[in-house]
Amino acid sequence: MPESRKWLLAAGLVALAIWLSLAIGGQWINPFAPASELDERILWELRWPRLVIAFAVGGMLALAGAWFQVLLGNALAEPYVLGVAGSAAVGAVSSLMLFPGSGLGMSAGAFIGAWIGIAAVLSFSYLGPARLLLAGIVLAAFWGALLALLLALLPEHRLGLALSWMMGDLSTSPIHEGGLLFVWIAALACGLALSRSLDAMLLGEMHATALGVDVRRLRIRLLFLASAVTAVAVTAAGTIGFVGLIVPHLMRLLFGSLHRVVLPASAIGGGVLLMLADTGARSMISPAELPVGVITALIGVPVFLWLLLRRA
Amino acid sequence: MSLLSAHRLEVKRGENTLLSGLDFSLQPGRILVVLGPNGVGKSSLLLALAGMLPVEGEVLLSGKALEQYSRSDLAREIAWQGSLPPTEFGLSVDQRLNLAMDSSLVAGGEDKLRRCCKSLDIASLRTRMLGELSTGERQRVELAAVMLRDVPIWLLDEPTAHLDLRHQVAWLAIMRSQADAGRGILVVLHDVQQAFSVADDVVLMHGGGRVSFGSKEDLLVPEVLEDLYGTRLLQMQGGDGQGVLVPAYEGGGDEAA
Repeated sequence: MPESRKWLLAAGLVALAIWLSLAIGGQWINPFAPASELDERILWELRWPRLVIAFAVGGMLALAGAWFQVLLGNALAEPYVLGVAGSAAVGAVSSLMLFPGSGLGMSAGAFIGAWIGIAAVLSFSYLGPARLLLAGIVLAAFWGALLALLLALLPEHRLGLALSWMMGDLSTSPIHEGGLLFVWIAALACGLALSRSLDAMLLGEMHATALGVDVRRLRIRLLFLASAVTAVAVTAAGTIGFVGLIVPHLMRLLFGSLHRVVLPASAIGGGVLLMLADTGARSMISPAELPVGVITALIGVPVFLWLLLRRA
Repeated sequence: MSLLSAHRLEVKRGENTLLSGLDFSLQPGRILVVLGPNGVGKSSLLLALAGMLPVEGEVLLSGKALEQYSRSDLAREIAWQGSLPPTEFGLSVDQRLNLAMDSSLVAGGEDKLRRCCKSLDIASLRTRMLGELSTGERQRVELAAVMLRDVPIWLLDEPTAHLDLRHQVAWLAIMRSQADAGRGILVVLHDVQQAFSVADDVVLMHGGGRVSFGSKEDLLVPEVLEDLYGTRLLQMQGGDGQGVLVPAYEGGGDEAA
């Protein structure tokens, strides 16, 4: 399919996803013709901000995934698989224990936890990309165990809040949707500025160096970018897995591997995926809601296994 | 002025001294062949000269110390070919070659790309993914990526590895013509005969840090090479009347039986 037609199709899909996310929910509302003032308020005061949050967080997670994959030279890397989401959850639940009733405290805990998780996994970077991924998986298990311990100690009435955040919750972002959209744009712009160097990194560290890339400096920049974006996304919406894995892969299959295309495509594709997953999560068992991470994990785990088998 | 020269060069990997006290110079229009047994540090020497490994002693690039060059400036002077790049992220041949064609590194664009692909016999592979190619085809893509670079110095690590005979011969001819056009080429080879056919100057790496630099006539002689590899060589007459060095295969089938 010609490139221009692919982008046209992608634009159509984005528009359709936005329309669906606005229309579907506890009740069907036509975004072009809301039937009442209440419908209008539901559309623009509830669904629209949530849609923007889902779009920005999904896009950020996909960008972080694409960067972690280049950073570690491993196409299976992403924040969730590397245990970063788990450490953020430990941070958030610890905060919930220490500062009960403070939503901001939980977010701060998640932010600090995400950075600790990233530092922990990167302290094994000397092992090389394949073993680093393994170290990440083991660390994820460790954070999981620690989390189970904290949950056992958590007073019963706070369990619901902790569990819902742990599986991803787009309804209570402590960061305003405009702020998230700003981070999304800034992250994408930074990524695009590095796209030529990122492309060279696809050839491995030595070939990239020979092509004039200062690999050490690039790694530090990427690390900072990927970590900061992950921390913001996790703080805004809890732990949502596999978006960072599925989306960059899908975009590479559709548009090729060059980053000037993969990064914007991932930033948009991740946003659309999370928007649709969230629409499903809040409407499948309405009026109750499923955590959005359940949907992304249900899609993500089979894709991860398929990729693993394809590599083998 | 030499393109690249080293004085009392010492390269270490960890505690292991790979070479010490090496003096050599690479002149425009000449091919310097590096020979030596496995594991003596030939690839490390190339990495050091490409600025990817720390060195002691002095390395001058066009008369200026190597460490004074930024990474991007080095890329304008040196093209390096080493191990095959990974195929993890699914690049096509064209995409891979375009990465070598950064506008600051190459002039001539598509025409040059077409010519290089034709020379390396990969024109029909351009739309294929790297992961679908044979090792020999991938090696030819890497050599095309080197050819695309408008740089005065080539550092090549076993460029004829994985290539069939026809493509080995073609590549040796390309190296010669590129040197004749003014490039300086430093190349690691394992085939003594290939070294014999393209070398102007030679570096021999014996291991334990021992190295020697000299002319082809002085160093590519049976006694020196026998000492280098620890195996006996026979000098035979080739079809074109030139001398051919071949390893003496000893302890054959009869003895084994």
